[in-house]
Amino acid sequence: MTITKFIPCVACLSLLLACSQAPEPAVADFNSEKTQGLVLLSGLPALGTKDSLAIVELDPESAKFGEILYEYELPEFDAPLHHLYYSPSGRLYATGLGTQCSLAEVKLVRSASGAPAVNDVDCLNTHGQVVGEDIMWHAVDGTQYMFVTFMGGTGLDQADGGSVGVFNSQNNELVTIIEARKSVVGEGQPYIMYPHGISAYEDRMVVSSTVHPDLATGVGNAVTVIDLNTFEPIENIITEEAKPVGFPSSPVEVLFVRPSIVAGAQPAVLVNTMFGFETWKIPYNAEAKTFGTPEKLYDGAAAGTGVPLEFYGNEEELFISHAIPGVVKRYSLKDLPDLVSSGEDIQAELGAHHMIFFETASGRKLIAIQNNLLNLGNAQDNDPTDVDFIAKLNDHSVTVHDLITGERLGAVNFKAKFNKGIDNIEALFGSGFVHHH
Amino acid sequence: MSKRQVVLLATAFAAVAVFSTLSFLLVNTAPQGKPLKNFTAPFVYGRFAIPPDNPLTEEGVELGRRLFYDPRLSSNNQVSCSTCHQQSLAFTDGLTGSVGVSGKPLAFNSMSLANLLWGPQFFFWNGRSDSLEQQALIPLQHPDEMGQDLDELVQELEQDTTYRQLFRIAYGGISAETIAKALASFQRTLVSANSRYDQFLRGEIQLTEQEEWGRKLFMAHPDTKASLRGGNCIDCHSQFLTSGFNTKFDGFINNGLDDEANLSPGLAEVTGNEAHRGVFKTPTLRNIAVTAPYMHDGRFQTLEQVLKHYNGGIKPSKTLSPLIAEADNLGNFSDGKISLNLREEEAQAIIAFLHTLTDETFLTDPRFSNPFSDKAK
Repeated sequence: MTITKFIPCVACLSLLLACSQAPEPAVADFNSEKTQGLVLLSGLPALGTKDSLAIVELDPESAKFGEILYEYELPEFDAPLHHLYYSPSGRLYATGLGTQCSLAEVKLVRSASGAPAVNDVDCLNTHGQVVGEDIMWHAVDGTQYMFVTFMGGTGLDQADGGSVGVFNSQNNELVTIIEARKSVVGEGQPYIMYPHGISAYEDRMVVSSTVHPDLATGVGNAVTVIDLNTFEPIENIITEEAKPVGFPSSPVEVLFVRPSIVAGAQPAVLVNTMFGFETWKIPYNAEAKTFGTPEKLYDGAAAGTGVPLEFYGNEEELFISHAIPGVVKRYSLKDLPDLVSSGEDIQAELGAHHMIFFETASGRKLIAIQNNLLNLGNAQDNDPTDVDFIAKLNDHSVTVHDLITGERLGAVNFKAKFNKGIDNIEALFGSGFVHHH
Repeated sequence: MSKRQVVLLATAFAAVAVFSTLSFLLVNTAPQGKPLKNFTAPFVYGRFAIPPDNPLTEEGVELGRRLFYDPRLSSNNQVSCSTCHQQSLAFTDGLTGSVGVSGKPLAFNSMSLANLLWGPQFFFWNGRSDSLEQQALIPLQHPDEMGQDLDELVQELEQDTTYRQLFRIAYGGISAETIAKALASFQRTLVSANSRYDQFLRGEIQLTEQEEWGRKLFMAHPDTKASLRGGNCIDCHSQFLTSGFNTKFDGFINNGLDDEANLSPGLAEVTGNEAHRGVFKTPTLRNIAVTAPYMHDGRFQTLEQVLKHYNGGIKPSKTLSPLIAEADNLGNFSDGKISLNLREEEAQAIIAFLHTLTDETFLTDPRFSNPFSDKAK
């Protein structure tokens, strides 16, 4: 069965064509690195290429648009690195979908010409935790930790595995593993299974229960609440209604809406369900520290979208990517935790996933969207790691759009141009977004 | 003219021609400097740009280092750049006002030369120099600093075989312009990136409780409504790890040293703008514990005195930075006295944090030391 059978009709393209007056260019002071993206690229086995970390120019106004300005070949791991994150102190980390390097620190330096370069990729000791997904830095009782979700937990052979690694954010050493397998804790007890998305507010953390890394053994349908005072799971909340593809809902990314993101906002957790095609809101009472009944805010099956993935925010809007048909929906930040549309969808490509925001030398505000779900191979290319339905959600491109109008200004197809897939995008100069979960 | 005389004359002409050609080639050979290897700078400090017409090369940097430490660059052959910029003091000199060939103390305190890569413009306390290359020749010629005539200096350096060779390889020949380029190149390599705070940023160490408290105070603008206490340092010292700012006159402020009647011209001397009176460049805080005395005129001998200035010593004027005027941990704006109103232990915590910016590696790095010293030889 393939998910693509359930691809709903693509919503009509209706771009806003309102013109914006570009401010006077300030080229002399312009930091050109603001338009450069840091991308994780996957070698495609049948095309003879290797995994790499590259810096690519994404300013459509630049003569170098779409060019790789710098590339660092990564060691051969059993699965690609998948996510990049800048820590609050500017250190760069990557999570990996395999077992050999599930969490790494990437050491960036500058050469004598000032050009950025990778000095080293240091795979960190996760103490057996595998398939790293998301990272969040969060302070507990005044101490900052690096929390990492490991969808494979402490072993891929576990049918109900999954863990949250708590690391010392200074020296990267493991502090503790938060793990609560269903088969261990017993029926009715709070569990952690295949955690992927992660978000936190004060002393409460939520992680999603997505899918076993082998994409076959099991699929989750809940989020887990973790008490950060004890580092113990205390509650599971199911976010599932329709099953448009017949699988459990597979919550993927979560966003704890909190006052630091939206001043005065009523705290709540937003949840995207990968196979449920839905976005949910779980209200949170910060005084009582209780979560309310989940409410479905968005139904992709009805609205013609599927596989909602990421939450990204800038100062004014929240953006949610939907891999099917490849759109980014936009919502007013001030209205969170409710989803109030702030404009037309940005029409990307199949697999719309990660994104960054930046400004060009001429002052134009842009969004670049990575259109690729996962690089696990493609039967058409005789890739040994093929997972067909995922391959169909891989356009292998980054599309660049005017942030205000959504107009597409350019596209870079990494498979066509470099024989590689693209796993992640991050802005070279800082994170390229304000909020990301 | 005899045949012998004709032969001699012809030989002489030929010799002159050959000599002229050789001289031309020696002076005007295309630069052949090798790109500087084994040089890396921290990514986290942000981007920097090297002038395209003065890339960092092995020979250019070596040359710049020799020039920097060579007293022959001064009119009395006794003062070098390093006289006022000593490595052990983070390339300052410990004096209120530096003393050069004239023996008269200058009106300004010697500035540190650490991490100039990240502050590529508006050098000197009043920002009067647009580039490191331009800056390099100003103290050379200043009558109170090095008092050197540039034409004479070029001639003097031409007499030195080592200089001739290095200049030829690095820049094709000796001129005031290439002297400036070499000095700028060496100064660009003066990267300080191994203080305890750098090690903290890299995750290698933890700060002590007091240092961490100081770090938080350093980073915070006081907000009484939010019960947030702060030292307000970061408002002006946002580039405290490097040596300046990329954008226009960002980083130039009046920090309340003098009242309206006694304001120095400062940046106004360069811009002619009255609003820039009393406005000076915010210096790096890297290695600040070894760069006393402080402020553009070296009026404070200790960091305690500096903190005391911000804690009750600020003098109001029309150009005083509003970021300073509005920073008060007690919110007592109505009493007419501008003060951070920090507690003593808070000031001490900030000072403890400032001490984490001392980079012993930088202060002793042999690559930056005097190449003429016995140790370097």
